[in-house]
Amino acid sequence: MKQGQAEILREYGPFPNADQVHGVTFDGQHIWFASGDKLNALDPASGKVLRSIDVAAHAGTAFDGEHLFQVAEDRIQKIDPETGRVLATIPAPGGGGDSGLAWAEGALWVGEYRGRKIHQVDPETGAVLRTIETNRVVTGVTWIDDELWHGTWEGDESDLRRIDPETGEVLERLEMPAGTSVSGLEFGGGDLFFCGGGGSGKVRAVRRPR
Amino acid sequence: MDSLITAAARALATGDPLGALNRVALRDDAPALALRGIAMAQLGDLARAKSLLKSAARAFGPKEAVARARCVVAEAEIALVSRELTWPAKALDAARATLEAHGDRVNAAHARNLEARRLLLIGRLGEAERMLADPGLVPLPPASRVAHELTVAGIAIRRLRTKAARAALDRAGQAAREANIPALMAEVESTALVMDAPAARLIACGGERPLLLEDVEALLASGVVVVDACRNVVRDEGRVISLATRPVLFALARALGEAWPQDVPRSTLVARAFRGKHADESHRARLRVEIGRLRAELGTLADVTATSRGFKLVPRSAREIVVLAPRVEERHAAVLAFLADGESWSSSALAIALGSSPRTVQRALEQLAAAGKVHAFGRGPARRWTTPPVPGFPTTLLLPGPLPSD
Repeated sequence: MKQGQAEILREYGPFPNADQVHGVTFDGQHIWFASGDKLNALDPASGKVLRSIDVAAHAGTAFDGEHLFQVAEDRIQKIDPETGRVLATIPAPGGGGDSGLAWAEGALWVGEYRGRKIHQVDPETGAVLRTIETNRVVTGVTWIDDELWHGTWEGDESDLRRIDPETGEVLERLEMPAGTSVSGLEFGGGDLFFCGGGGSGKVRAVRRPR
Repeated sequence: MDSLITAAARALATGDPLGALNRVALRDDAPALALRGIAMAQLGDLARAKSLLKSAARAFGPKEAVARARCVVAEAEIALVSRELTWPAKALDAARATLEAHGDRVNAAHARNLEARRLLLIGRLGEAERMLADPGLVPLPPASRVAHELTVAGIAIRRLRTKAARAALDRAGQAAREANIPALMAEVESTALVMDAPAARLIACGGERPLLLEDVEALLASGVVVVDACRNVVRDEGRVISLATRPVLFALARALGEAWPQDVPRSTLVARAFRGKHADESHRARLRVEIGRLRAELGTLADVTATSRGFKLVPRSAREIVVLAPRVEERHAAVLAFLADGESWSSSALAIALGSSPRTVQRALEQLAAAGKVHAFGRGPARRWTTPPVPGFPTTLLLPGPLPSD
């Protein structure tokens, strides 16, 4: 297993009217982050929130190239980023114990926080296609090509880890500085991760190791 | 955190405990247990809340020190509301230290406020003030500010600083409206009622009238000699002579104060101080001795001079002598004063609050119960005492504790 320290390149926030950051996703231009009752579009260059959608946003966030997906209570909402309308809703696989959300290979990948699981879910029906077990609590989830990464956060300890999508074995681990929690996680292109900072109300850019 | 925990926590933070319960009612993981515990506490089921929070603290992992500490703080708050003053203050202190060390300043400030409220409740005002003096430089959420300001107001009321109390109550009201939690607004309003209800009686020149807290503050600063039957002291603006441990001397001082500027016959003084019906020679001799002692105690405040039929008080420099008496007088008034807050108390908590022995409090409670003035429920250590709320029954000045000048 490769192991190292996470290098924080930039911190955004905390933002007014958003005391917590949950899910994080990236649409190529904006970082979208969930703050409880809003989805916020953050400009990574200026660090400013450009607009917000009023929608329940309690955990993971994902983007499929066209729509935003957002975990709220025990459901996953499909949202039009232009109008903010909720287009469809499917049940979340963890029944509300869900945390991170990612889009890849035509499926949604949902972290189940205390269940220490990642579920692959049919985005149309919510049917669970398969489940990967891990040995740590799962916060954010993201795919980089064929690499599956997830965040963990137990008490003071938090890290980003790459796991084998078949076996759940930990292949690589990036330890976050003490007290720096990871809620959402998203690959930001190039050598960037974007991480939600939970109760700190921050979004952090972390260097992706090569 | 996961989705439903986030949603439930948001519901709780906006004063919607049923909304929170709806989301986590069927879950038994640690954060769900903690949220259910807090929701049950907000709904008033304190016993269930306590056991849920205990289970939650056990269920959190060894690395989740902050989550455990928050459970301890919540448990402490429930104990405080249930008037279980015997709960381990050390555990709360340790939890506060953990929260501070991990940067959870808001919950650390909440823990600090709970410690201050406990100290206020047991009449340790100085320590309560020191606890609140350093709230940290963190902007607290409105609900925490309400609790903080109510404690500040409580201390100011006990210290008879009515302006400071009103200012703190105004800030508490403002914060309660920001928090938009009805229970908090109601708590601020009921505390504010204390300021507008009679707090004591003034007995002067043969007449008497009720006094508001502000009137009492003004009276104590007015330069008159006050025989204060709420605290068993004789005082003027600058000096306080405590007769709290000398009941006979205080009874004499009060009888003389009530009659001022008239004198009081020996037989009346004997009856008031010794509870004797007739003043025989031995009573007269004892009265002379006690009057001599009272004269020595009062010193520069007032003299006690003999008249043809008895004795009278003569102020040394003040123009007037008055008596400040509790609004309602009866035996065990201090016990009733604590019970008048409408909460249920254990006899051991009352003993801590009154600074007297559990046995003494037990005896007082039994006598009050026999007279139908208090009710008990529960058995053994779980036994609690309560009193039906008496409208307008004041507590403030009856609460034993340090005086404004301390």
